Amino acid sequence: MADEFMKGFAALMVGGLGWMTIAGWYRTPSFEGAQLIGEAPPAESLTVFDTAALLLMDAFFWFAIFGCLTFWVVLPIVSELREYLDERSA
Amino acid sequence: MSENESDDDARTDGSGSGIVAPDDETPSWSERKERTQGLSRLTYEYFERGRREDQDLRQQSDYVERDVLAFPAWPHEMMRNLALTSFFVGMILFVSAALPPEMPNPANSGVTPAIILPDWYLYWSFGLLKLGPLNPDLAILGGSKIMADRTYGVLANVVVVGFVAIVPFLNKGSARRPVEQPFWAAVGMSGVVFSFTIAALSIKNLIPMDSHLLFDLTFLLPVVSATITYAVLKTMREGYMFTLNRRYYRLRPPK
Repeated sequence: MADEFMKGFAALMVGGLGWMTIAGWYRTPSFEGAQLIGEAPPAESLTVFDTAALLLMDAFFWFAIFGCLTFWVVLPIVSELREYLDERSA
Repeated sequence: MSENESDDDARTDGSGSGIVAPDDETPSWSERKERTQGLSRLTYEYFERGRREDQDLRQQSDYVERDVLAFPAWPHEMMRNLALTSFFVGMILFVSAALPPEMPNPANSGVTPAIILPDWYLYWSFGLLKLGPLNPDLAILGGSKIMADRTYGVLANVVVVGFVAIVPFLNKGSARRPVEQPFWAAVGMSGVVFSFTIAALSIKNLIPMDSHLLFDLTFLLPVVSATITYAVLKTMREGYMFTLNRRYYRLRPPK
């Protein structure tokens, strides 16, 4: 169980830090307004690298969300269900 | 054949004289194999060595038995501290290296800013300067106040800091957990909430709320939170075995 927690936590940390870094570069137009969730630069001014970075930013974000949800919620529920079904059939 | 007569037989099920380790404590072959290399080996050796040193100390004649047995500082505590230190140093390096630096415009010393505020951690003290409405008009003095509102605000700081300084003398804090002393936990909780509400009061211009309501909430919310804390902890106290905890930490007797 502790392992499952650590895996979910690692997903949350890696995804969160990755998202924070890229969002700090691309979605922080000024440090006096909205930070990390501010306006993204217009699509026509983006190079290939910028587009890839923005894609990676979304990937990191959803990895953090779904990673911790998987290890903290989904997998425990699945194992509980399996135990329950085993007990029921036994 | 009873158990007392079977001295010659080697018993491996753990029920014998205690020379053979019980089954549930004997490491399996896979567990032994896992410990033969790498970090698991190192961890195992650290703990085994700590246990062995503890055992040796116990067997020496001049060793005074302590009430609380703990792990030795080296390596156990130091490894833990090094791991925590590495984490925070790594976090500082990562943030400073990977995030874009904040380079705002230089401060203009010739212009007074529109909003004058101290740093955020001093908001509570700044808020205490805004307690003017509490300064009583005394009928004896013909409806005038005994001191100016600003003096009153400064004295409020003295009262709050004085109260925080007195609490450790009122209650020496022998409790290890909030459930053991719900009343003092409630006092502490109301203090925490009050520090937040008084900080909110100090920036009442920026808070989207009626300022009179905010002023009342500043003093009501701490009382409400203290009541809730006391009720919850008092409920949790039912069947809670904190006397066990108290007996365990005999080195620090209550009172």
